[in-house]
Amino acid sequence: MTIADYLPILMMLVVGALFGGVSMFVSKFLAPRRPTRTKLEPYECGIVADKEPPERFPVRFYMVAMLFILFDIEIVFMYPWAVAYGRLGVFGFVEMAVFLLILLGAYAYIWREGVLDWAPRRALLVGSRSASEPDAAHEAEKAA
Amino acid sequence: MKTSWPDILFFAIVCGIALGAALRVVLSKNAVHSALMLALTLFSVAVIFIAQSAPFLAAVQMIVYAGAVVVLFLFVIMLLGVDKNEDLRETLRGQRPAALGLALLFAVGTVGVIRLYGSGAPQAEAIALGADNVQLIADALFTTYLYAFEITAAPLLVAAIAAVVLAKRERPAKSLSESREDGSA
Amino acid sequence: MTGPHDGWWVLGSALKVVILFAATLILVMALVYIERKVVAFMQVRIGPNQAGPKGILQTLADGIKLFFKEPVTPRAVDRPIYILAPLLSLIPMFLVVAIIPFGNSITINGREIFLQGTDLNIGILFFLAMSSIGVYGITLAGWASGSKYPLIGGIRASAQMISYETCMGLALIPAVMTTGTLSMRGMVEAQSGTWLGFVPRWTGLVQVIPMLAFFICAIAETNRPPFDLVEAETELVGGFHTEYSGIRFAIFYLAEFANMFTISAIAVTVFLGGWNGPGFSFLPWLWPLLWFFAKTGVLVFIFMWIRASLPRFRYDQLMSLGWKRLIPVLLVWLLLSSGIQAWINEASNHVAGG
Repeated sequence: MTIADYLPILMMLVVGALFGGVSMFVSKFLAPRRPTRTKLEPYECGIVADKEPPERFPVRFYMVAMLFILFDIEIVFMYPWAVAYGRLGVFGFVEMAVFLLILLGAYAYIWREGVLDWAPRRALLVGSRSASEPDAAHEAEKAA
Repeated sequence: MKTSWPDILFFAIVCGIALGAALRVVLSKNAVHSALMLALTLFSVAVIFIAQSAPFLAAVQMIVYAGAVVVLFLFVIMLLGVDKNEDLRETLRGQRPAALGLALLFAVGTVGVIRLYGSGAPQAEAIALGADNVQLIADALFTTYLYAFEITAAPLLVAAIAAVVLAKRERPAKSLSESREDGSA
Repeated sequence: MTGPHDGWWVLGSALKVVILFAATLILVMALVYIERKVVAFMQVRIGPNQAGPKGILQTLADGIKLFFKEPVTPRAVDRPIYILAPLLSLIPMFLVVAIIPFGNSITINGREIFLQGTDLNIGILFFLAMSSIGVYGITLAGWASGSKYPLIGGIRASAQMISYETCMGLALIPAVMTTGTLSMRGMVEAQSGTWLGFVPRWTGLVQVIPMLAFFICAIAETNRPPFDLVEAETELVGGFHTEYSGIRFAIFYLAEFANMFTISAIAVTVFLGGWNGPGFSFLPWLWPLLWFFAKTGVLVFIFMWIRASLPRFRYDQLMSLGWKRLIPVLLVWLLLSSGIQAWINEASNHVAGG
């Protein structure tokens, strides 16, 4: 396994970039260009935009990205383990079980803290426990 | 392993891209451009890993760093408001001298490492023989370095908790604590 | 790799890459047409029927039209990134095509040529890496447009994609465990043969839950209905590509369909035995190829079927499906299946030893 095996990947990269670049370039000559002031405004369903979009986003998006990193690191550790699993045997299982239990601990904490809840005020819909289950409301409706 | 001319040329080109992109990370005035250049730097480093017969490390570099860390950066930049006119005043006092000092320290460290290990680079025979890189890593990680691997779970756990705590302190009245109340109500 | 890495090998690889690229492009254009036709029949419509016989040239006509349309560049865009974004979402999909094993091998002039761009020993990880790069295209498109709807669409999309990438990564681990390799060709070869003489040794028949989870993730990862919140017209206009028009929009569109194809092909390779299937001595290289495309075709059809059948999810439902259902199920499954496998191995060792 050498770097030569990655040569086709590089070739594909070049071909893909050429395809995209050339089609954009060619389109530049084929397509008309008649910019008007209104046409170049950011789209706003016909209303004149009154402010630029430096809006802030809910902190949840940041939390998701953070959790993604954590899970990604753990998952990446599991791949070599999965490859060698046949040889590691029961020992390998115990190793990964310990690792996964710690991960599950973090996961349970995150869940309890409500980081994974995206719907606002679900408690109003169903009440107690099901604050974390959006479809519980549907089921309640169905049952009624 | 002997180093041939094409290898050196390849290394020089990829390093050039990595360094150029790294410079752009620092010099670019737009935070999103910086983040993108950082991704390019990390990508070039992944290519160098491949050239060094470490494809697993390259994949990890791509998945974790380029795929997750930089995406987090992008999110944070957008989270704080995507203002195109960044405020370029430096809020950290003594930032420049500190950066200089750290750079010096890094340079000394790098040279030191090369002096110590550079002559007889640890080239595993197995790699030269074309053994499966991932298998080798798995063998090392789950036998010799088992404790290190298990202990890795602890910082990850701490990081998860820290992320939640930090995000909560940022917005004490809303979102997180609110949904928590919902849960216990 | 069989054969030396000589000039012929480089030439052959270049040829393979060009053929793969062109074939994928044509296939993707066909898929656009087929999807429109399939969805139309499911909704008791006729679908495209004007351009060419049965409207078969419709995609081509649309593509040519888009070349001649004005690519409006709104004033607030960040130009370099705005132009780079469509490429960033298209190219990773094509890079994945380069590692998919489409068939077994052909022997020409005593050289064994594999019907695969290249076989990496980190194969499946390369796929994961590329899908994480794919997130950039959409995030940056949303940001660079300098407009509200694309920004919201872009950030939603990237949160969705990274969430489901986590699930995808978890869903692939049991498959790696069963086959014991990361290489795509290795996975296919590990799935050859049968149990009891008639049940194919597909990974997906053992790892049922991961296979289903992977398929759900695949739909979310490609931002297709019912997970197409990225371009939820009713709330976000066109989502991240609201400000894209002309050829730039066409590239995003192409990327979406290319993504659907590559991800189905990966699912077939990892879970459904890849090109394995009964073959005949007549044209031995052809049958694996047919099997591969037949299986992929079924998956792609399911994609379309789901699109025509299911209403769009709400964002919170989408996120809780990923984080609260799939992830715990997959974690528990991983523990269970590795435990069972360890137990079986141990038992068989005892039998062999005693």
